[in-house]
Amino acid sequence: MAAPGGGTAADTEVRAASARQRPPLPRPSTGTLVRAAVIVVLLLFVLFALPQLMSLYYVDAMTQVAVWSMAALGLGVLVGRVGLVSLGQVAVLAIGAWVAARLLFATEQPYPLVLLEAGLITMLLGTLIGLPALRLRGLYLALITLMLAGALTVVLATTNFPNGGHGFLGYNGSSVHIPPIRRPSIAASDPAYFRYAVVVAALMFLLVFVHIRTRPGRAWAAVRQSEPAALAAGINTWLYKLWAFALASFITGVAGGVLAGANHYLYSLNFPTYYSITLLAVVLMGGAYSLWGAVIAGLLWALLPSLLQDWGVSADWLTILFGVGVLQVLTTAPRGLADQVPKDLARLGRLLRGLVRKRAPSESGAG
Amino acid sequence: MPSWQDFEPFIVSGLALGGVYALSGVGMVVLYQATGVVYLAFGAVGAMGALIAWSLINAHAPGWVGWLACVAFAALVTLAYGMVFGPALAKRDPLVKAVATLGLTLVLFGLMDLLWTTSGGQSRAITLPTDNGGFMVGQVQVDWTQVISLALGVAITVATGAFLRMSKLGTAMRAMANDREITATLGVPVRRVEAAAWLGCGVLAGLAGVLLADLVALDATTLTFLVISSLAATLIARLRSITVTFVAAIVIGLVHDLLTPIQSLSNYRDLTPFVLAAIALLVLSSGGGRVLARSREEA
Repeated sequence: MAAPGGGTAADTEVRAASARQRPPLPRPSTGTLVRAAVIVVLLLFVLFALPQLMSLYYVDAMTQVAVWSMAALGLGVLVGRVGLVSLGQVAVLAIGAWVAARLLFATEQPYPLVLLEAGLITMLLGTLIGLPALRLRGLYLALITLMLAGALTVVLATTNFPNGGHGFLGYNGSSVHIPPIRRPSIAASDPAYFRYAVVVAALMFLLVFVHIRTRPGRAWAAVRQSEPAALAAGINTWLYKLWAFALASFITGVAGGVLAGANHYLYSLNFPTYYSITLLAVVLMGGAYSLWGAVIAGLLWALLPSLLQDWGVSADWLTILFGVGVLQVLTTAPRGLADQVPKDLARLGRLLRGLVRKRAPSESGAG
Repeated sequence: MPSWQDFEPFIVSGLALGGVYALSGVGMVVLYQATGVVYLAFGAVGAMGALIAWSLINAHAPGWVGWLACVAFAALVTLAYGMVFGPALAKRDPLVKAVATLGLTLVLFGLMDLLWTTSGGQSRAITLPTDNGGFMVGQVQVDWTQVISLALGVAITVATGAFLRMSKLGTAMRAMANDREITATLGVPVRRVEAAAWLGCGVLAGLAGVLLADLVALDATTLTFLVISSLAATLIARLRSITVTFVAAIVIGLVHDLLTPIQSLSNYRDLTPFVLAAIALLVLSSGGGRVLARSREEA
């Protein structure tokens, strides 16, 4: 998706790029400090207050939000940063979950180590898949990843997820007492595991943030703008695209590992092909160009269905909503909710202020 | 290893399946050439049409009303989508256009699950009158639906080829595949040509929906994602050649069904389209990555 934002997106990108090339300022600006403080306060609130305020039902839902935010983050790196559209990220998530479950059943390794290994193995597999796929561009890459997602669904339906059995696949079709996939000892309860998942997710967001602010982020921005131009500027586009693939696969693999512990039991039915499409939908709706977009995508994906179920509304409405959302985002608001909501709020604020002053709202400085 | 006799019935069913994949693939290639859109909702509109047909037939409507409704629904939805979102996205990257059709897929998918819920576990089926009767080839029973599927695949491919080459509308479509702007400058009513392409593609989606619901299963998920098999055929043809699309579709159908009697591979036979398309794309791309970048540019 080459510069879906059109002129304005390209302009801000150029401005952002030039801002990044300036030597680092001796002191961070007040805006940065405020933003960092808000994030820290928000994180503390989510970690310590949220599990107290919510029922276990919603704590579980929020754990899923953490998992799917990571998956959305991985896809967001590909779509938003590099402009590669993958339609097979849920298949990658399933690989991560499979590897983590297999390791958790087979070994007594501490959980963080398993997460790291699941991430690394998924990264290796994702890169192996990405290596030949990177020769293809744009449309063809998206379609071939959609096929890979479909293929993996078929394979998973046959191999199943490990359930404590023996052999390489670790699946025992006839076992009556299936042991649950274990959780870390410090996070056995649901609220504790929620905190654990949030910490892991925060680390992944930090990892991506560091990437974006340093050399890879600049290289990705250049590749997204124009690959030939990036090549001409001496950027190893092949390496950085593969790097993005590896990073996205790593994050998604870790997310799969967290998902394994959260669910306790994994079934191939949990990862249907169309989930990969829905994931792209929520990532586009949330906003692929912002890290907040991944959080919004996670909320759309995991919290909304729980809310709807609580209210007795069919989750199918959500699928329909996501479909409409994709069309809306692609035709009118390419930067997604993370960009649209603050703008709309600002516009609403101006409107209200205008009403208070009994004057027509001024639209100056919109957008 | 199963004997030759075990394979024979699957040659017939494979050819029938390949025929439907072929007519789907041809529809997608023509639409892509004329509008630059890879229509990923192809399977979903066909599936919903088939479900509508099922509901009508269940409400004691005559069979042909149901089948017509299926084709009409698929054609209308496809045309409406093309009219609303085609111009809005006309200048965007082919990738954006393809992803937008995924939006339509999700809408239809949600609607199907909502209206024809699968939680009850009841299985639906469409049976065509052509399922009965037929003839024997050697030891193998061939029914008329299978004959129609293959014949339609061949007929659509040949007719589309002739249409693109000989008719004025077809020439206009080929011109638009080269350059939409210049074609418009030359006085071709591009919107109307695009509408024709969308309508044609929708009709084929409806036909494929009815046939696949009979040949494979009447299930929203299955039918929606069967589009991937036709898509594989179009990818092997690099979204350009309808002849290659036809051949690839037949091969995919045949290989898929011929794997059924082989025990060790039977479970994996649904991988056929992915594996064939992946091999084709990656091997083709090693010849020259540029060729695959944007086939429309140099078409």
